[in-house]
Amino acid sequence: MLIIFQLLISIIVLIAIANVIAKKKDNTLGPKAMLFWILFWLAVVCVVIWPNSVQLIADYIGIGRGADVVVYSALVVLFFLVFKMNIKIEGLKRDLTKVVREKSLE
Amino acid sequence: MTNNIISDIKNENMFIAIVPAYNEEKRIASVVKSLRAHVDEVVVVDDCSTDDTARIAGKLGATVLSHGVNLGQGASLETGHEYARKKQADYVLHFDGDEQFDVADIVPALEKLQTTHKDILFGSRFLDNRSNMPFFKRHILLPVGRMVNILFASIPLRDAQNGFRILNAHALDMIHISQNRMAHATEIMSLVKKYDLTYIEFPVKVYYHEYGQAMSGGFRIMRDLVVGKFVK
Repeated sequence: MLIIFQLLISIIVLIAIANVIAKKKDNTLGPKAMLFWILFWLAVVCVVIWPNSVQLIADYIGIGRGADVVVYSALVVLFFLVFKMNIKIEGLKRDLTKVVREKSLE
Repeated sequence: MTNNIISDIKNENMFIAIVPAYNEEKRIASVVKSLRAHVDEVVVVDDCSTDDTARIAGKLGATVLSHGVNLGQGASLETGHEYARKKQADYVLHFDGDEQFDVADIVPALEKLQTTHKDILFGSRFLDNRSNMPFFKRHILLPVGRMVNILFASIPLRDAQNGFRILNAHALDMIHISQNRMAHATEIMSLVKKYDLTYIEFPVKVYYHEYGQAMSGGFRIMRDLVVGKFVK
């Protein structure tokens, strides 16, 4: 059962990484973002294939279960991404304002 | 001698009124008409209205600047600033497009700003008793608004959210509004502090047609101010 699950996730991750590389080729993804996403998906594969690896981290930093480590770090990463996105949207808003203003003053 | 001539020419101060307007077709006509008697040029910044605001204002002799996308009152004021800077205006007036204010306050306010040699004048509803403010607004919404201002801006204005302001050329040069929506009122005050501009408050009358901003508006202002701290 576990093997099937691991295989399935691994295939999904492979597709995801292929996607990331394709996006980089299209120039819709920067080199830093590409690196981040590839590392992210590789980490997912590692955790799925060796579930005990997160337990090691959990023991090391004093969190009870390996699964909790995954949930906590996912939360942190998500918060960070939402924050960054907010900032980016605000930047876009300012660019839009500039363009609309310049046009209205023509 | 030359100085005298220059100062004589300078007596012809250019005074521009900036009127941010969004779907104000019912009220913009009387605002533009009454303003024209008190200022040299009326600039209506039409914030992508879906009604006839722009056409009516243009027909009555206002300069109309049209936003292609609705950006908000702060953005409209800054568009007006940009225009006034290009025209090298000596004074600009912020005046709401919804007949809230009384044009009779303009000339005394300008004279006050000139005689006191300050950079910016803020209208205030609290310096006299002419404005009939709803109870909830006077005793709950505005005190809360004042606390937010202390947190983010820190110049002690009695009526921080009042849209009646007059800026001289120096203030116009320094104050660039980046808060597109309602947080611009607080932003203007923090810029006054940042650039050490001098200011006075002046009593103005405010007519209440309908409720201004609801509570949710206040929360949105706080959010805009917090996010704005992280964006350059």
